[in-house]
Amino acid sequence: MITQEKYRTRVKELLASNSVKMVIGYKQGSTADRRRPLFVRSFEEADELVLDSNCIGNLAGYLVTEGLLSDEKRVGIFLRPEGIRSINILAAESQLNPEQIIIFGFDTSGREVKALQGEQAEDFSGLIDSLKEKPPEKSSDALLYRIDQMNTEERFAFWKDEFSRCIKCYACRQACPMCYCRRCIVDSNQPQWINTSSHTLGNFEWNIVRAFHLAGRCVGCGNCDRACPVNIPLRFINARMAQEVFESFDHYAGTSQTQEPVLASFNKDDSETFIL
Amino acid sequence: MAKIGVFICHCGENIASKVDCTKLAAAIGEHPGVEVSVEYKYFCSDPGQESVKKAIRDNNLTGIVIAACSPRMHEATFRKACAEAGLNPYLCEIANIREQCSWVHTDKDMATEKAMDITRSMIEKVKRNNKLQPIEVPVTRRALVIGGGIAGIQAALDIANAGQEVVLVEREPSLGGHMAQLSETFPTLDCSQCIMTPRMVEAAQHPKIRLLTYAEVEHVDGYIGNFKVRIRMKSRYVDIDTCTGCGDCMTKCPVKKIPNEFDCGLGKRTAIYTPFAQSVPNIPVIDKTSCIYFKNGKCKTCMKSCQINAINFDIKDEFIELEVGAIVVATGFQVQNTAGYGEYGYGKYPDVITGLQFERLASASGPTAGKILRSSDGKVPETVVFIQCAGSRDPSKGVRYCSKICCMYTAKHAMLYSHKVHGGKTHIFYMDIRAAGKGYDEFTRRAIEEDEASYLRGRVSKVWEENGKLMVRGVDTLLGKPVVIEADMVVLATAMVPQPNAKEFAKIIGIAYDEYGYYNEAHLKLRPVESSTAGVFLAGACQSPKDIPDSVAQASASASKVLALFSKEKLEREPVVAATNEITCAGCWGCVLACPYNAIEKKDIFDRSGRLVKRVASVNPGLCQGCGTCVTFCRSNSIDLAGFTEKQIFAEVMGL
Amino acid sequence: MSEPFEPKIIAFVCTYCTYAGADLAGTSRLKYAPNVRIVRLPCTGRISPMFLLKALQKGADGVLVSGCHPGDCHFTHGNYHARRRWMVFRSLLDFLGISPERVKFSWISAAEGGKFADLINSVTEDIRKLGPFDQYKELIRETETPATL
Repeated sequence: MITQEKYRTRVKELLASNSVKMVIGYKQGSTADRRRPLFVRSFEEADELVLDSNCIGNLAGYLVTEGLLSDEKRVGIFLRPEGIRSINILAAESQLNPEQIIIFGFDTSGREVKALQGEQAEDFSGLIDSLKEKPPEKSSDALLYRIDQMNTEERFAFWKDEFSRCIKCYACRQACPMCYCRRCIVDSNQPQWINTSSHTLGNFEWNIVRAFHLAGRCVGCGNCDRACPVNIPLRFINARMAQEVFESFDHYAGTSQTQEPVLASFNKDDSETFIL
Repeated sequence: MAKIGVFICHCGENIASKVDCTKLAAAIGEHPGVEVSVEYKYFCSDPGQESVKKAIRDNNLTGIVIAACSPRMHEATFRKACAEAGLNPYLCEIANIREQCSWVHTDKDMATEKAMDITRSMIEKVKRNNKLQPIEVPVTRRALVIGGGIAGIQAALDIANAGQEVVLVEREPSLGGHMAQLSETFPTLDCSQCIMTPRMVEAAQHPKIRLLTYAEVEHVDGYIGNFKVRIRMKSRYVDIDTCTGCGDCMTKCPVKKIPNEFDCGLGKRTAIYTPFAQSVPNIPVIDKTSCIYFKNGKCKTCMKSCQINAINFDIKDEFIELEVGAIVVATGFQVQNTAGYGEYGYGKYPDVITGLQFERLASASGPTAGKILRSSDGKVPETVVFIQCAGSRDPSKGVRYCSKICCMYTAKHAMLYSHKVHGGKTHIFYMDIRAAGKGYDEFTRRAIEEDEASYLRGRVSKVWEENGKLMVRGVDTLLGKPVVIEADMVVLATAMVPQPNAKEFAKIIGIAYDEYGYYNEAHLKLRPVESSTAGVFLAGACQSPKDIPDSVAQASASASKVLALFSKEKLEREPVVAATNEITCAGCWGCVLACPYNAIEKKDIFDRSGRLVKRVASVNPGLCQGCGTCVTFCRSNSIDLAGFTEKQIFAEVMGL
Repeated sequence: MSEPFEPKIIAFVCTYCTYAGADLAGTSRLKYAPNVRIVRLPCTGRISPMFLLKALQKGADGVLVSGCHPGDCHFTHGNYHARRRWMVFRSLLDFLGISPERVKFSWISAAEGGKFADLINSVTEDIRKLGPFDQYKELIRETETPATL
């Protein structure tokens, strides 16, 4: 509650001094433990701001809304550490100018919501470096454990079952801060690389391609997983990709605004044990 | 509607013996869009090609597939036939049913089935082929040669003698580079300056060569045929057009004890100086860091001494902007700093010197007028020890590679010394004698047999001073014994390394370099003088250690590449290049980073009122080489590669 | 006894090295299994993961991707980029239950006609042992049956 009050005051300060044109934060959602995004332009709206451990969505994706930043005015945003990493990636991929972003950093990993020191993305580089050094403990998720124990046929059957429910609503894409393309590859029909009907085959292709496009870019915010209306555990796929690029290329997504995209760069000594 | 002609070649028996061509032709004839499906014994023959052309004309074909040998054999042949029949040559595809089918399979049914798949997938591809036109790039017929050593001079002269304009840029006040520093040259022992200075003068006086000395290339933009270059003309504080090179200023200059770089510190020079007596141009420069006037605002002795008022302390650096069509990089090398080799005592004992310093001692124009004298006491050394590979082939402290010239120049040094100091003794520690080259092995044999150089195979572990002598401890591995030699002088065959700013300079020009900073050739074997960037060529030791003949040969090779480029007003290139979709490009610049040729640029898109709408990736077809790495990277599918488009590949795979 | 299973294998190769290596296998009259269909691309850098998925959709039981050895790429480093993509893509397929045994990668130079022939034989044998990719084929069949309400 202390952090929430502190940040409400800060938001008002920034609005009053015209330092930001808007602050993107959270407000009460439809149920007691749900939060929804809030776009603060006035003091009244600032009073609606909520900051507690239920504020889990990554709001970074709203920043790349067409036209939002083109007037070069600043925008404030509430972000957890992974959200700050998203800002770094978006900056590295030239989707935004990080100087326009005022960050209200917070961490919900403890019981109390903790404010993070700093306001510009680069202020948090020490924090992100420490996250890279100490990657989170391997998930103790029982389902992931089960997947890891399966042989390939069983895994295929598992995912086939999961993907068969996919209705190609693309909520995963819409929720993802990294899916900023003006035209997604799935919307490209000359040629139609991905079958768009809701057959399982096309669902497989869609989810494979999305995971591949997120390799080295996903920060594990969980937006896609929560958005999925049929509860496909997408987080596991993206986490597997993050683990792969970390182990193979020492790449931890979003460490800096100048980080090279892992799949547009290479090292002559990259591992190639799998190549015949 | 597609009207595809399919021509199935028997290749005598080569294909027909393993592929049932009649069955193949019949089956393919049923394939949607196929207008003509015929077989023939040799389609590559004249009547074969004629029949293809006739079929194209008679049926108004929209594309053809030749099911025959590898496209690497006859793609060009059949494309030409297409063009002759009025069909765009890029509407022809080859189904490889010989090298990759009939020649490698024994079962006729399976081979026939495979041939059908191969042919069908090429039919599906060719249906999506686009008419392509060779890319034409205008060429500015003026070459920039960077570096005025022997390689740069040779390249400049070759290009200029062929009638094309050259701008030759040298960083130092004079042309000449390292070759001007050498005494005699192996394997003929002709005097280096005697063969070098006429070349320098020729380059300076050539009507087609614009010589810019004491100048540095600061910025390069553009691409093959169309480079824009910015050159900084460093101020000499001497008006180059007025100065007659009389040298009065140099005799009057009160600062006289600056170690002369040209003599590797063995001689002295003044603050206003020319690097050496035969400098081209023979115009002095003022070394700002040593000049008294620039230090405390008083002196101007040189200015007062100049009778024609050529000296002006207010001259500023100037910039020249140039357009050139090709660039030859001949920036040369430097000698490795031997400071890391404490055991050899370089820097500690004045008579431990580098090979290049020995060259200056042996040179008639050097600080000792060609006498081999010790720097410490001016005496003639009676015993000289040469240490080869003092830095080369030494992964722990030096460089891993062989510097290539040291075996030869060390043998030369031993010879020159024995010619100049009768009765003098030479010992050479070596790892291997690498004397591959015309007349080279004979030369080293002569050093051993006629000039009595004593070669000791082994390394030196320590050099120290004792009773006025340099004690050299090493091992003679052929005898298996340690040896200690009392010497009067020790000469280190130091490694050749890239110029200190080689990597930064490569970034300015936009070429690739290796781990050391040597510039990378486009292909080590087949394109050894082209850099990775089209239109930029390499000459001399900036690419790898080289001796004079190799540098000259590479310079002439570069010149011939430049001349080939200049032989036409427009450059024609294969149209297999990428292009972006500016509407869908998200501007993430992954492609810009992934492109091996820096061929993708950022392009601003403005609306009618001139407001920046967005920035998108844009491929420069002059630079793109058509690998397609960008296409695969692009998440939004906003780049495509002509000749191998997404639609074509999709259709080809779906046709299998 | 039933007929031995003949796997369908689709290969994506670069034109400068592996395609030339395959040609060399031909000019050397080496014999290898007829199960492979080759798609020629300018460079491994051009080989998109989408191609592999489409090959599977066309009923391939195995996919082979091959190009120039590291350092030999005609385009200097297309194969280095490709190698990273393959590493990631392979791990992704594995996690989703598409066995790495079915998607193979190799370096074959223009001089390695022998290696090409040997590789095609061994890959064909390996895939033959794995059997048809029935799980994927089931997905393909689903797309081919008319929709019912």
